[in-house]
Amino acid sequence: MDPYNVASDRGRGAARDVSTFQRFSVDTNESLRFEPCEDSPPSPTGAEDGYDDDDDVFKEGETEREIVTTRSRLQGKVAEMENFAGHLEEIFLTVEENFGRQEQHLEQHYNDVLQTLSQRYDERAAGLEEEKKGKLEALYGQLLVCGRALDASKELIETAQEVYRSQDKRLFLKEVDLTLSTRLEFDTPLADMSDVKTMMDSINVVPAPSAPVINPQMPNSASQTSLRVCWSLFSDDTVESYELYYRPVLEDTPADSTLKETHCTVTDLLPNAQYELWVTATNTTGISPASERALYMTVPSPPVIKRRECTSCPEAAMIRWESGNTNPVDSYTVELSETSTDGTAGGVTESIVAVPTCQCLIQLQTGRRYLIAVRAVNIGGPSDKSDVITVSTTGTFFHLLEDTAHPCLSISEDGFTMFYGDEELPISAMALDDTFTRCVAVLGDLIPVRGRHYWEVEVDDGTEFRIGVSYEDTERNSFLGANKTSWCMRHILSPSRHKYEFLHNGWSPDLRITVNPVRIGVALDYERGTLSFFNVALEQHLHTFHCHFQNYVHPCFSLDNPGALTVHNSIEAPEYTFI
Amino acid sequence: MALTQVSSNKCAGGFQKVFEHDSTELKCKMKFAVYLPPQAETDKCPVLYWLSGLTCTEQNVITKAGSQLAAAEHGIIVVAPDTSPRGCNIEGEDESWDFGTGAGFYVDATQDPWKTNYRMYSYVTEELPKLINANFPSDPDRMSISGHSMGGHGALVCALKNPGKYKAVSAFSPICNPMQCPWGQKAFAGYLGSDRSTWEAYDATVLAGAYSGPQLDILIDQGRDDQFLSASQLLPDNLIAVCSEKKIPVVFRLQPGYDHSYFFIYSFMNDHIKHHAKYLNA
Repeated sequence: MDPYNVASDRGRGAARDVSTFQRFSVDTNESLRFEPCEDSPPSPTGAEDGYDDDDDVFKEGETEREIVTTRSRLQGKVAEMENFAGHLEEIFLTVEENFGRQEQHLEQHYNDVLQTLSQRYDERAAGLEEEKKGKLEALYGQLLVCGRALDASKELIETAQEVYRSQDKRLFLKEVDLTLSTRLEFDTPLADMSDVKTMMDSINVVPAPSAPVINPQMPNSASQTSLRVCWSLFSDDTVESYELYYRPVLEDTPADSTLKETHCTVTDLLPNAQYELWVTATNTTGISPASERALYMTVPSPPVIKRRECTSCPEAAMIRWESGNTNPVDSYTVELSETSTDGTAGGVTESIVAVPTCQCLIQLQTGRRYLIAVRAVNIGGPSDKSDVITVSTTGTFFHLLEDTAHPCLSISEDGFTMFYGDEELPISAMALDDTFTRCVAVLGDLIPVRGRHYWEVEVDDGTEFRIGVSYEDTERNSFLGANKTSWCMRHILSPSRHKYEFLHNGWSPDLRITVNPVRIGVALDYERGTLSFFNVALEQHLHTFHCHFQNYVHPCFSLDNPGALTVHNSIEAPEYTFI
Repeated sequence: MALTQVSSNKCAGGFQKVFEHDSTELKCKMKFAVYLPPQAETDKCPVLYWLSGLTCTEQNVITKAGSQLAAAEHGIIVVAPDTSPRGCNIEGEDESWDFGTGAGFYVDATQDPWKTNYRMYSYVTEELPKLINANFPSDPDRMSISGHSMGGHGALVCALKNPGKYKAVSAFSPICNPMQCPWGQKAFAGYLGSDRSTWEAYDATVLAGAYSGPQLDILIDQGRDDQFLSASQLLPDNLIAVCSEKKIPVVFRLQPGYDHSYFFIYSFMNDHIKHHAKYLNA
């Protein structure tokens, strides 16, 4: 019985483990059985013990050897036992696992069975319930029918009884209506011969006129509130008077006036409105049929120039206006004349006709003053002139696009100074679509002309600002200069010094400026692709961005700490700005 | 004041010439370069004086700095003198590259053996302009000055010591505060002696602190990767601090990646000539 068999037996599976156990125990008992010494059990202390009197060296040696062997055997056994204990543990775990798995399977299997049973029960129960319901309904229906039949029969009996009781057995027949539905006589209307009489009478009388011919609208005959209508007779009818009817195209009831002439100026009309007009002629005999209906249009109201949306530069001006009319007009005419410096109007007026929309970009000469007005035009003719706007082509002029201003930025009444106050942001000032939401910024409305533009910005020594240009669609939730769509000069105030950056796409060159600019000139040259900044007081160049501006850009301004900033424009660019 | 033409090359529509003459201030033969723009054929043109740095001659700037196209565009004469007297046989003048030959430091020396010949300050501010105005179509009322490194120091010093004489001034990596850097201390000790109060007359930072005169507008470009900047030879911060306090307008640009070489000068020469043109052609 070799104890070392245990190791190889393990591989033969769980079933065998139990028997191996038994085998090992047998082995253990066997192998741990000590063979008694020939003389006596060996003493641990050696030859000092009395028992070993007649032990000679050789015997002692033998005993020692035996001790050693036994000891090593013991050690071996201990090792084996440890090994075995280890194996036991493994077996134990495996058995546990296996049993666990079996338990799980059993549980699942019985659960399935239970579930199926429960399902079947539900189904059967539901079926029964339905059947019950159906039967009950049917019975109830039947009950109702019976009840009704009962009532009907009762009624019949009662009627019969009544008839039987009444004297006249034929009374029930009276229910039938035997009267005639129509009268037997005929209606004879009176014969009205009056119109035959009239016709007989008028055989020798002047005929009534035929329909007059109404003229189409003559150009420039209408005004905002009046129309001049003309008509003529078809032939040489005798006419005593005319009746002119007119009404706005979309209304029903016409107004009318009686006239002796073949023309009329109708007044009190609405501007830019269409009217339908027709005429009848009257003489002693009667009234003519109506003429054809003519459509006339009054002239529009004059447009209203939007002064805060007009911009200019040395070569051009952009004029924007409101139509001034609720209904569309056909086109607009822009009229401009040059004035001399003392304000007196010059002679020549230039007109730009057939302007389709409510804005016009006009090419002008540099360094002049112009008076510009707009008229609205429809088929009735041109409206009166709008109020005149004065445009100067000295320098570039623009207003701020106040719709883009961050809620914390307030703008003065004249529209050129902006303030970033210390106050809390009012809760009602929700960011509208187009405003800046993080950077306290606003855009300017630069005229879309790819030429040279110059403006100046006035600040205080302590104002932290960003000024420059950006594309119109620059990110409203980003800071000026932090993205690819804006370029700006930035002033930062630190406890020790003033710091200046020239930012584009978050990058700035490293610069020192020894004299802090409080009036900064900004020069934009689309063709050269440059944006330059100057200290105006010193005529000192600070920095130039070089960039090809793919789209039109707008001036942009922001305040990074509470403070104020004023924009100055219409300034002729100093010579040094565009070297 | 006889001039001998040494060379002439057509360049950018004008002419790049080199002349030699006997200098009365420096008591030796001196060469200088002159660029004549096309406009000089018909009009009087303003003059930009360019002062070169240590070890340079009149050749470096005209071959390496690329100034001719911009000078032609703006119609400016560019004059570039040498950086020290030559061939004077002074003992020790060739011992170092930063003192003596090629290192005049644009001062008038007071110490032997330098004081006879090393008078570059007077040469640049007096003798050379007289020579130019007498021999070329230059407008004597419109001149400006610029330079690189030691020449930048020279340009700043000449402008600060002569209020109103130069219509514009600019510099490339100038030695801003020579009294505080090894180069300046070595040169001034040699040329001006040990009394440091005499050095102040040639130190741009000190001169700026005491400047009073017409408003200046100084453009300075400095390479950020300039080894001499990191070796504390140039000290621009000292000059900026004084100018900020004294409200002397300076625009100082630190250019990333650029060193001390003519490649750096070439890269920004156009900006400097434009800066000078603004005031020379005003």
